[in-house]
Amino acid sequence: MSDLNHPISRREMLKLMGAGVGMGLLSLTGCAPKGTPSTPAAAPATPTSAPPTPAPATPTSAPPPAPAKLVVWDVWTRDEETAVIEAVHEIFKATHPNVTIDRIAKSFDDLKATSKLALSSPDGPDIVQINQGWSDMGAMVEGGLLVDLTPYAQQYGWNNKISASLRARNSFSADGKEFGTGNLYGVPPTAELVGAYYRKDLFEKLGVSLPKTFGELESILQKAKEAGYTPITFGNLDGWPALHTYSEIMFTKVTDRGYIDDLIYAWGKGASWNDPIVITAAGKMVEWVEKGFFTKGFEGIGYDDSTSLFNTGEGVTMITGSWMSSTFTAGEYGEKIGFFLVPPEKAGAVKLSVGGTSLAYAIRASSPNRDLAAEYLAVIMSDEAANEWAKAGTVPVASVDKSILQEGTLFADLVKSWDWMNQHDAVGHYIDWATPTFYDTSTAAIQELLSGRITPEEFAQKLEADRQAFLAGRK
Amino acid sequence: MRRSSKVLAGSHEPGYRFWLAYLYILPALLVYAIFVLWPIVDTVRYSFYDWSGFREPVFAGIGNYARLFHDEILGVGLANNLTFIMFYAILPIVVGLFLTALLTHRQVTGMSLFRVGLFVPYVMSMVVVGVVWRWLYHPTGPINQVLTAIGLGAWARPWLGDFDWARAAVGFVGTWVQYGFCMVLFIAGVQRIDENLYDAAKIDGANEFQQFAHVTFPGILNEVSVALVTTLIAALKVFDLVYVLTRGGPGNETMVASYWLYQNAFQINRVGYAAAIAVVLSVMIMIISYAVISLRVRITEA
Repeated sequence: MSDLNHPISRREMLKLMGAGVGMGLLSLTGCAPKGTPSTPAAAPATPTSAPPTPAPATPTSAPPPAPAKLVVWDVWTRDEETAVIEAVHEIFKATHPNVTIDRIAKSFDDLKATSKLALSSPDGPDIVQINQGWSDMGAMVEGGLLVDLTPYAQQYGWNNKISASLRARNSFSADGKEFGTGNLYGVPPTAELVGAYYRKDLFEKLGVSLPKTFGELESILQKAKEAGYTPITFGNLDGWPALHTYSEIMFTKVTDRGYIDDLIYAWGKGASWNDPIVITAAGKMVEWVEKGFFTKGFEGIGYDDSTSLFNTGEGVTMITGSWMSSTFTAGEYGEKIGFFLVPPEKAGAVKLSVGGTSLAYAIRASSPNRDLAAEYLAVIMSDEAANEWAKAGTVPVASVDKSILQEGTLFADLVKSWDWMNQHDAVGHYIDWATPTFYDTSTAAIQELLSGRITPEEFAQKLEADRQAFLAGRK
Repeated sequence: MRRSSKVLAGSHEPGYRFWLAYLYILPALLVYAIFVLWPIVDTVRYSFYDWSGFREPVFAGIGNYARLFHDEILGVGLANNLTFIMFYAILPIVVGLFLTALLTHRQVTGMSLFRVGLFVPYVMSMVVVGVVWRWLYHPTGPINQVLTAIGLGAWARPWLGDFDWARAAVGFVGTWVQYGFCMVLFIAGVQRIDENLYDAAKIDGANEFQQFAHVTFPGILNEVSVALVTTLIAALKVFDLVYVLTRGGPGNETMVASYWLYQNAFQINRVGYAAAIAVVLSVMIMIISYAVISLRVRITEA
């Protein structure tokens, strides 16, 4: 741009083109994700420079006498979460006075984008919280980046704290080719469950009680609509919230959890997305759109916006995850909000609920501090830590000391729901785990479905085509 | 020839000065090589590998490039990039020319204020722009409120989630960001046009439009071509606005090549494939830039 007074010469043309190439290519290597994480979170933390190599820990049961350092990357960016982690660190320090913990909190997107490279670095973090599923944990196991935690699970009794179906979603075969089986590669401290938050005062006004069947839920929504309320607060600009709502509807029609396990873990036992279950559920969700059960203009409302709408009084219910509980509790209608699991088609039947666990703590395979890192994980998974989470209003994976539960609170509803799900092996899945590309495929497809661009049949076909491509690529 | 070069070079070996020149640019060249040239070479190299980002890369030959042709989403993305040329390049230049005509034709009071105000969108961080517009486009946001207030409630819609309007809504933000850059470039160009040309045109009876068409526009043709190249590149590599506003949705209505590249590299672990997209995108940008600039060279040399 230096030479505006003259016609552009060929040399300058090359210069400009060079800039174009640089910019085009650098978009691959130079762009870091900037905010708008899927869960509300603070600004992404900046990664620090490479940590100094810690001294190797002695493999004894006693804490190492030499000063050591653990570098931990986690996803707890919110104030309440940081407070819990700091309390947990105090517990750890009591038995490990010589260990310093260098903790870096990152937003979900930021953590996801940077942890793969960090784990392959010889001086990367010792402990990283990672996302389960093919594209993260699976790929990392395949790359030999993670420590097999199975022996530690026996040593520290994690198998009693984490149920078999929850362990399965943190397990891969050693080559990373099979999901839901094999070695344990991560331990998650907190639970995630999706269900319906509801306004107790509005339920009273409408003269309805908690639904026992899916049909009852629909008639409540209908009543709410007729009374002039928004039945379900909903915003799907981001694409993924509809996946949760859709899955909840779909799970009411799943009678055998083997079907959904097969789809998610890609066992290839014959389950297909192109199934009447998927098609009827998709049709039901379109029906809900047509009946006006969702917030008007939901197509243009982001997830964060939709949660603040519910928090400021819009809507009778909101179908989303337990991660919103502390925000809702602290909100304007905190005491008036309760939680129930989306009910099954037949009263008393066991219905899966969307859910699972938080990101899992994993240990870098090349860490010189494996055993020390495992001791840190043991504290993270301890009952004391679980109670810290409970006090902060977050449901821990391990069962909670019931004496701290206050009857009638949102948190008590959530803990009871979680216990029920675990007792009945009803912890479902996030369907976007099904293949590495499933998130992109399914979010795009469901937006097309809800806008009427594609039919429920075409929706099912799109999902199945994605799975077929994945299965073909694995051979 | 030979003699004179010998005189210039003195007693030194031929080529000495050549190397001395390189020594002077070495520091800058080093930085450029490390941060620009090396990543480019590396990206081209990776595009021939099947690489997840952290495992051993496996040589894949032209496999990644062959795959590009069967990638429906990339096809949609590139088509959207072409649509965005309208919003990122053509419209901003038209708006920029119009504002230039308004602001330079006669003395406007508060001229610098207008210029600064109109230039502000270009200076703002794209992420900030995105967040602001996400709010403006909100179903109950200001745009729909205004539409409803003036009796056009039927036109109110969830702009960013509407299959028919999302692309235009995202594109319009691009126009809003880019026109200020074009305008400032054009105003600078107008200021070095000889006043006498306008006087001569007036004496010949040219009206204002004719003055613009025959004096102003030819006078700033260089600036227009620079603006065109820059905005074209922006249209083809748009990422940040899409990332903040829609993430390619609804469906894949606002998917663009660079967002799909990002998804492949950072979310789906197909770094090799993402590198191939990057290479193709860069080659496209080079070809289009070359076409625009050579057209410009031909016009000025004609």
